Amino acid sequence: MICDFLKTCCADPVNFLGDWFVLLPAMVLLLAGGAAVVMRNLIHAALCLTLSFIALGIVFIALGAEFVGFVQLLVYVGAVAMVIVFAILLTKPDQLTKSGSAFSGLGPAGGAAVGLVALVALLGFIFTSPLAKKPLPAPASAPVAEIGQALMGDYKVALIAIGVLLTAALVGAAVLAMEDKS
Amino acid sequence: MNIFLELVHFLQAPNELLRWFIDLLGSFGLPQWILAIISALIIIGTVIGVFLGLFALMSVMERKILARAQNRYGPNRVGFFCWRLCGLFQPVADGIKMITKEDLVPRTADQVVHLLAPVVMMIPALMVLAIIPYGRDMVPADLNAGILFFFAVGAGTEVAVFMAGWASNNKYSVLGAMRAIAQMISYEIPLVIAAIIAAMISGSLSPSAIVAAQGGFAWGFVPQWFVLTPWGFAACLLFYIAALAESNRSPFDLPEGESELVAGHLTEYSGFKYATFFMAEYIGMFAVCGMLVTLFLGGWQAPLPFLTIIPSWCWFFGKVCFVAFTMVWVRATLPRLRIDHMLAFAWKFLLPMSFAAFISAACWHYAGRGPLAWLLSLAIVGIPYLVLGTAFSNRFAVSRRTYQFSE
Amino acid sequence: MNFPGSGIIKGLAVTARNFAGSYFEKDRLTTEQYPEERPKLPENSRSFPFLIYDGEDPEAGMRCVSCKICEKECPPQCIYIIQDRDAAGKAIKRPKIFDIDISVCMSCQICVEVCPFESIRMDQDYELSSFDRFGSLILDKSKLLKSNAYYQSIHPTEAAETDARFEADRKKKEAAAAAKAAAAEKAAAEKAAKPPITPEAGA
Repeated sequence: MICDFLKTCCADPVNFLGDWFVLLPAMVLLLAGGAAVVMRNLIHAALCLTLSFIALGIVFIALGAEFVGFVQLLVYVGAVAMVIVFAILLTKPDQLTKSGSAFSGLGPAGGAAVGLVALVALLGFIFTSPLAKKPLPAPASAPVAEIGQALMGDYKVALIAIGVLLTAALVGAAVLAMEDKS
Repeated sequence: MNIFLELVHFLQAPNELLRWFIDLLGSFGLPQWILAIISALIIIGTVIGVFLGLFALMSVMERKILARAQNRYGPNRVGFFCWRLCGLFQPVADGIKMITKEDLVPRTADQVVHLLAPVVMMIPALMVLAIIPYGRDMVPADLNAGILFFFAVGAGTEVAVFMAGWASNNKYSVLGAMRAIAQMISYEIPLVIAAIIAAMISGSLSPSAIVAAQGGFAWGFVPQWFVLTPWGFAACLLFYIAALAESNRSPFDLPEGESELVAGHLTEYSGFKYATFFMAEYIGMFAVCGMLVTLFLGGWQAPLPFLTIIPSWCWFFGKVCFVAFTMVWVRATLPRLRIDHMLAFAWKFLLPMSFAAFISAACWHYAGRGPLAWLLSLAIVGIPYLVLGTAFSNRFAVSRRTYQFSE
Repeated sequence: MNFPGSGIIKGLAVTARNFAGSYFEKDRLTTEQYPEERPKLPENSRSFPFLIYDGEDPEAGMRCVSCKICEKECPPQCIYIIQDRDAAGKAIKRPKIFDIDISVCMSCQICVEVCPFESIRMDQDYELSSFDRFGSLILDKSKLLKSNAYYQSIHPTEAAETDARFEADRKKKEAAAAAKAAAAEKAAAEKAAKPPITPEAGA
């Protein structure tokens, strides 16, 4: 069996590795996410979360959704991770640097049980949904252009609503920042 | 003679040279995937080698240009055996110094994060070199959404800056890192909007398509680069200023100002880790210069039709070196900005100006790109510039001093 | 024309003029590239003392007579003199050992001011660093003796004045010697002209 494995590996590595382009980042994603939950040192946890964001972006890119992958990297790693880090630094300066596991006792067991139930339920819903039965559409030749046209065409109301929401958030942030300077 | 002609042809189009070499290897019976890996490795090695060489040259040329602008000689001693070579071997001496310096890590610093920060800084700087078109058909990775890749990967730099500042376990490093991140985030918006303007007019996010859209010559001899239009000039300036701020270069180098924060987030770094940060900053600077050249200065296009004899990659690197020279020139001229001035400049001047340039570009396109469209776009860019500029400089004008004495 | 940004453009123009001018105008770069170009020191600059000898032979033409005034007057006491003795053991007017410790010397020039014989003067050579902290920084007589021609080249005005004074002294001495010789001759001639006083025989 190992000989067969090696034979397929050496004969056509690109196709053989094709699945692993998705599976490896997915494994990194799960491990980093788990580490982010378990770690006691908050900044280390935030950095592991950032690593999981990066891994998720790579998963998207490997699955062929380049635009979503790049936007994931740009928004989550560039902005959200920074917000998380700033929030930690500005609100909880002490107790940051303790290392080790954050849980003890029945905590991990209970958490793992809940997580397992959620995972089984989610997998069940995914595999029994009608979407899983349809064949995948062929990837578009210019996905970014199609996404842009869809956003400006079918989904323009959603786009404008998101714009209003972001403007409100920006104005709120500016007001919050200005209040200190009274 | 035939060999000479072939050499000239390969000089014009190095990708042909690569293809010839790969075909030669393929004729030895190597499987396709090994050829693909070898081809990729050659391309990667060449790009990284060229940019590391440019980094080394830049580090000494910057010092010499700054020196000449300040009425003194730059480094002109380090040579090769007995030849002085105008001090161009200074990077070798600097490299040896950096490698042999002691690597001090504070005992209470976060060892793992402290080690990883330079690595995480270097990776995005090198990755963004993949999508820049260095010449005709000379893009290492012709991505459909190349511009988006550039900014997405460039966002990784901020994480590295934070890691560097935090891991040093030093109040001033954290402060410097916060300022650096605030600066980078604030200046990312004008940067992205300026890039989007060029992408919008070209109709594609792929850098090769943007360069191709700047091809051709109006009236036979005038190049159609975006910088030669009003909105393009404004967008180019915006991109340039934002690029200076993103790579922490003067006049936006407060995070690394020696008199302010003792190198900010880089305080606790010495030896090779500091050299890695230094390298990442310069390579990032070259990458963003390359992107500026691609987006606005016509990429690898020659300015006049008869100058296409000079290879396209020569034009590209010439333009990149010119932009880098202007960055050094600006560094020699302008004093450092204070952090509140810097952030106010980004949010209150550059952001509205970038929106104005955006609208101007759209109007230029939809008004038919004729003379009226040019005048309209000039007005839409020029008037907000004058209004905002005057308002901004008046805001920081020094007013007459009034004294209040206690009675 | 004062549009926003004009200040920056003016600044860039100044820097560009400096940059371009540094290649064409020679007087823009005021750096003296040591060690290829040595700085031109003023005549009165001084570093450490040295001994003068007249003529060709250092030992024979040495002006120092080992009076030890400079040794006594030196504030940090960096001069060490031992007077020479001849074959019989009598002291003669020359130093056998004359050491100056230039790591102690503070270049105050007091030794120069008190020397009655114009034999110790200040040198201008500053490139005296060595790897040997104790040995090479004590200059002995052979290292200190330099010719009058050298002194004239580094301190022309002082040397001219000293030489003129020596010349005048020499002339005066010669004139005095000539006068004395003439007087002695006259006395001898007078003595020869006068008849000898013979004692009266048996008077």
